[in-house]
Amino acid sequence: MSLFPKAGGLRRTIRDTIRVFNRNKTSWAGLVLLLFMVSLAVLAPWISPYDPIDQNILERLSPASAEHLLGTDHFGRDILSRILWGARISLSVGTISVLMGMAVGTVLGILAGYKGKYWDYMIMGVMDVFMAIPTLLMGLMVVAVLGPNLVNLTIAIALTVAPRFARIARAPTISIKNRDFVEAGRAMGFSDLRIMAGHIFPNILGELIVMGSLWIATAVRIEASLSFIGLGVKPPTPTWGGMIREGFQNILSDPWISIYPGIFILITVLAFNMLGDGLRDAIDPKLRNS
Amino acid sequence: MLKYVLKRLAMAIPILIAVLTLVFVIIRIVPGDPAMVVLGDQASAEALAALRTKMGLDVPLIQQYFTFLFGAFRGDLGASLLSGRPVLSEVMTVLPYTIDLTIAGVVIGIVFGVPLGVLTAVYRNSVTDYIIRVFSLFGLSFPAFYSAILLILIFSIQFNLFPVISDPDLSNYGERMNHLVLPAVNLGLIMVAYITRSTRSSMLEVLREDYVRTAKAKGVPRFVVITRHALKNALIPIVTVIGLYLGVLIGNSVLTEIVFNRPGLGKLILDALSERDYTLLQGVMVIYAFIIVIVNLITDLTYGFVDPRVKHQ
Amino acid sequence: MSKRIGLVSVFLAAIAVSSLLFVSPSFAEVVLKIGTLSNDANQLDPHVSTKSQDKILFPWVFNGLVRFAPGSADLSKIEADLAESWKSSADGLTWTFRLRKGVQFHSGYGELTADDVVFSLNRASKKETSTAYKGYADFASVSAPDKYTVKIVLTKPIPSLLGMVTNYHGGYIVSKKAVEKLGDNFKTNPIGTGPFAFSEYQSKRQVTLVANKDYFRGAPKIDKIIYRYLPDEASRELAFKNGELDLIYGTREQRWVERIRKDKGVKVDIIGLGELRTLHMNITKGPLKDIRVRQAISHAVNRDEMVAFVGQDVAQRSISVVPLGYLGNTSDVPLYKHDLAKAKALLKEAGYPDGVTLKVIITKVASLRVPMEILQAQLRKAGIILDLEVVEHSAFHKLIRQDASPLVLYGAARFPVADSYLTQFYLSDSTVGTPTAITNFSHCDAADAEITAARSEADQTKQLALWKTAQQKVLTQTCSVPIFEQLIVWARTTKLDYGFEMKNSLSNGPILNEMTTLK
Repeated sequence: MSLFPKAGGLRRTIRDTIRVFNRNKTSWAGLVLLLFMVSLAVLAPWISPYDPIDQNILERLSPASAEHLLGTDHFGRDILSRILWGARISLSVGTISVLMGMAVGTVLGILAGYKGKYWDYMIMGVMDVFMAIPTLLMGLMVVAVLGPNLVNLTIAIALTVAPRFARIARAPTISIKNRDFVEAGRAMGFSDLRIMAGHIFPNILGELIVMGSLWIATAVRIEASLSFIGLGVKPPTPTWGGMIREGFQNILSDPWISIYPGIFILITVLAFNMLGDGLRDAIDPKLRNS
Repeated sequence: MLKYVLKRLAMAIPILIAVLTLVFVIIRIVPGDPAMVVLGDQASAEALAALRTKMGLDVPLIQQYFTFLFGAFRGDLGASLLSGRPVLSEVMTVLPYTIDLTIAGVVIGIVFGVPLGVLTAVYRNSVTDYIIRVFSLFGLSFPAFYSAILLILIFSIQFNLFPVISDPDLSNYGERMNHLVLPAVNLGLIMVAYITRSTRSSMLEVLREDYVRTAKAKGVPRFVVITRHALKNALIPIVTVIGLYLGVLIGNSVLTEIVFNRPGLGKLILDALSERDYTLLQGVMVIYAFIIVIVNLITDLTYGFVDPRVKHQ
Repeated sequence: MSKRIGLVSVFLAAIAVSSLLFVSPSFAEVVLKIGTLSNDANQLDPHVSTKSQDKILFPWVFNGLVRFAPGSADLSKIEADLAESWKSSADGLTWTFRLRKGVQFHSGYGELTADDVVFSLNRASKKETSTAYKGYADFASVSAPDKYTVKIVLTKPIPSLLGMVTNYHGGYIVSKKAVEKLGDNFKTNPIGTGPFAFSEYQSKRQVTLVANKDYFRGAPKIDKIIYRYLPDEASRELAFKNGELDLIYGTREQRWVERIRKDKGVKVDIIGLGELRTLHMNITKGPLKDIRVRQAISHAVNRDEMVAFVGQDVAQRSISVVPLGYLGNTSDVPLYKHDLAKAKALLKEAGYPDGVTLKVIITKVASLRVPMEILQAQLRKAGIILDLEVVEHSAFHKLIRQDASPLVLYGAARFPVADSYLTQFYLSDSTVGTPTAITNFSHCDAADAEITAARSEADQTKQLALWKTAQQKVLTQTCSVPIFEQLIVWARTTKLDYGFEMKNSLSNGPILNEMTTLK
């Protein structure tokens, strides 16, 4: 195994990450904010004061009070409870879609880079086509085709994310595949799969994590945007973007219905961006050494 | 070099065809019936069938596809199913609005983003750097529709300074500028965030280069080093920022147009999508695809000129 | 590079300075700016389009032979319009109309003659050119004995014939010359005889109308109407509050009405005829095949809560499957009362002790989606779970016509006679999926005999009795749950005065004519 000096890369990356994390207050702040959001989402069933889909027509559009900390919406549903449950949708759609896109994209990217030739042309050609359509428009079209629900929304975002990861994975694969340790592995009769999974993947993992957290930020924003346009999940499921859209109807009299969920979107996206930024500083060797 | 340009061009065409095909396929799967949209909900099944024939919707798909593809390359995008007007003229009607918005957004982005980026790079790890970076992170994190709503709440409703609906008469310059301010600021602020960050990272790279260090060592004044030597070279990657963030620009302009009810390509797409106006939707996507492929081509070529290594990849 | 940036800023400064110089000149023109629903016109052809955003505009541009008194939709108060007088033969089969002389079509299309009326009514009765054609099925012929006389011969007497030649749907008179000359372009270039003439259509943006100075009742006092398409309710309201619009299609909710009423200089008009919101249940498919499940749903619906949500001024509880104010509407029907215990018991009896889940399709458009979300919450209390799929409005209309949704929430206003509603929603001929389909989503077939017989019943008392039986049978079969009627809300600046009381309108919008003023 000593033939593979990069095999311990993962552990070292983690150690470096923690070290730079310590130097970088922004990334800590991101992590803390994120953990806060995640715990709100996880604990939603226990800490929500009300059933998020329970309507109370007589109490609708009531301002913030002791009973309803953030007031109620146009159906008399508790806004705080809807925000807490909405956190689950935002975070899970954001994370799962990026993980899906990352998995598919990375495999395709490594494959394209490692196999080269027509594999490369075919895969990257398809990826280029998908990349040519802006994320929001792609999401818009896909959801419009498949119909707005949680699964389709996730797939739509994953589809737009996958090509970015294919690109990220391909370039380092090309540069690594001709290095000595990979050549040696091949000479020892290791299968392509083993080389790709065991030795190329760990080397690009750091960058994948950075891009992953930055793309989750984007995914959360896209989910909110699509929900705002009305291509989100089914009613009465609460989503932040959908809440803003519904609140927009009463923006003149009750602007807070739209403003509160927006603040939560902002914090969540910000948290992922801060985290990604901090991690990038940790992993990018050029920045680390200066 | 010419060979490289030709090669990139040759690569752009299949991508364009593939994008058009993707758009065509996606649009056909979308449920909904343009004939129904036209005739309204009291129309009988017979009347609907008659209109479908008239609209050319009962022609075999493959035939529709080739008509569409060849038309697109001849500059003929067909007629909107609903309004009956040529798609190209529908697009041309709203294009000035989108161009106004995007140019204003990019200009705001560059005018504020570049100096801020330089500032953060030069005073790296200072309080200034820290504050500007936090602000630019905020900028990246704001969903465009949310910032648009906040701008409306503050500047249209609270202070009544700008109109809520951005739909100016283009021949009236005063109105045109007045209506542009809020949407442009909305798009611009987001671009400032992106451009600040990319300026910062390319400045940091350039500042480490030997010639900058040499200049510094030779006692050239700091300001001169930064503007003459460093910024000049850092600007090249910044130029390609437009290509890099084209998707961001388009996505955010769509959301901005929706909230401000501003005519434009983005709003046209959304309308076409909800009305099942196949030809219009196709047409607008073709225009977008052309813009994207051309901008990407220019970006690639610029890189090619600047960085000879790219050519040989 | 820096030189270029310098140039750009000089250029921007130049634009900014020049923009200060080009302040828009003020015209003495009276311009009425209207914000309407929807994002675009559909078809500005009155015989074809049945969409609200188009219908609103038609009475401003077109006339019928006769008209509803402005601001009313009362069939008993019909007055002369393009026709000066009319009479019917003793057997009720021949009607003769005398036309007003000297009426001019817009844009120089010449004087209105009997030829135009014959052409229009024939056009309205052909399915290729009209969506109103079914209503004219009993027209044997329309002819022009002379330049100013129109004769209509019927195959059987139609008691409410005048209704067919009012300023509504197929009754609008179009210019023969314009239709023939413009062909397909007529739908974006309508030519009529009304107080306002079409001037320009900008797709997805607006329609501009100008005063018809030669209008036969006198030149309108408003010079120009800008009719803007603004699908977003909040944007319309904001623009109205900022003074960018004078008249807007409002949100049809009490809260909205009360809020905007408080503003100075604002007048709200709540206009009938209301749209009846009905939940249609497909009696041929799935759990809904069982009448007990349909009855359970009927008992689970809480009309009072719905009316409380929408508001007293804007909504009325419905009492039957035919809307209030329609000729033939009756309260003598077996309407189900709100009773959750009964609903649960019925479900259990039907073999669904743990409740039932239905996959339901609903439009994105708020006027149907919001009540559907309330129904979703109400039915949940009885153990009926609605899995809502929200789709684009056009997709909704397509899918519900393919039986894709077992429950269809539909809102509609029709010509205010029971026949129009019963025929379109409950006659088996109109069942969706058949060649003659209209909007019978429930596959209801209980009252075919009565609906058909009533249509040609000359004796009004007998006709009313038939309609009553029909409504009873539809409810006994439990084809649908009529829920509430929603009136239409328009807000205007007090500077705008219609010139008459705006109570009811068949066009979903206010009537604007030569009496209307804008200060």
